[in-house]
Amino acid sequence: MKTVKEGLIILAISVVSGAVAFFVHPKAPSFSAGDLELELEQIDDLGPVFWVDARSDEYFERGHLDGAISLNVERWEELLLGFLDSWPPDMTVVIYCSSQACLRSHEVAERLQDELGVEEIYVLKGGWERLLEAGRVSEG
Amino acid sequence: MTMKWIGRIAEGLVGAVFFWAGFLKLLDPQAFASSILTYEVFGYQVAVICALVVPYLEILTGVCLILGVLKSGSRLVAFGMLVVFVLLLAQAAIRGLDADCGCFGERSGAESGYAWPIARDALMLVGLAFGLVFERLTRDTET
Repeated sequence: MKTVKEGLIILAISVVSGAVAFFVHPKAPSFSAGDLELELEQIDDLGPVFWVDARSDEYFERGHLDGAISLNVERWEELLLGFLDSWPPDMTVVIYCSSQACLRSHEVAERLQDELGVEEIYVLKGGWERLLEAGRVSEG
Repeated sequence: MTMKWIGRIAEGLVGAVFFWAGFLKLLDPQAFASSILTYEVFGYQVAVICALVVPYLEILTGVCLILGVLKSGSRLVAFGMLVVFVLLLAQAAIRGLDADCGCFGERSGAESGYAWPIARDALMLVGLAFGLVFERLTRDTET
């Protein structure tokens, strides 16, 4: 009983610390970003969308989805101008990065929401790997 | 007396590894969340919760093991974490996933495969067992 009690004390302190970190840590991941994820089939149902590639320049240059523009966190300021030039404001934005584990697309989506107020914005679940699997792109 | 110290040192080393692993994860919870997702076991939200809580759990457990405070509780938590880590790594290996270990922060261990991280966790379990067994033996000898 003492063992479990002590274990719970350690767990409780960790949970409280984690909750504090969520609010104050500069690199804390966001909870709401997960709500933006859509399956490829759901994105197809949206009709024409504006694709954004959130991978690094190197990967974008190796290959990207037709019509997608590059917007990544490394060159945010520069690439954002390109995004603003080419994005029709009434068009839904869909962002992808390399895989399901990649969180770059979520970060780009959140920044577009926060900085530009883009409302119709989603993240492709599975990212580039899903596009490869569906045969929409070929290995870059 | 010597047996007691062997156990304490073994447990202290396990605690130090936990502390260091937690500290590195704490530097970048986003990268750690990303690593957790590569195991393809947890959804996004669960991965975020784990990325925020596990580093503190490791640091705290490590400190307790080193200092010998909340001793039995920290052993239990350490044991639980190690078993979960081994299971996660093993399922990733069996499924042939290209998971990023994430054991010591961002992009650690992916290139070395699963054998070493599993072996390291197993070694840490042995260290914990040493601490417990030698403590019991010392107590039995003293009484």
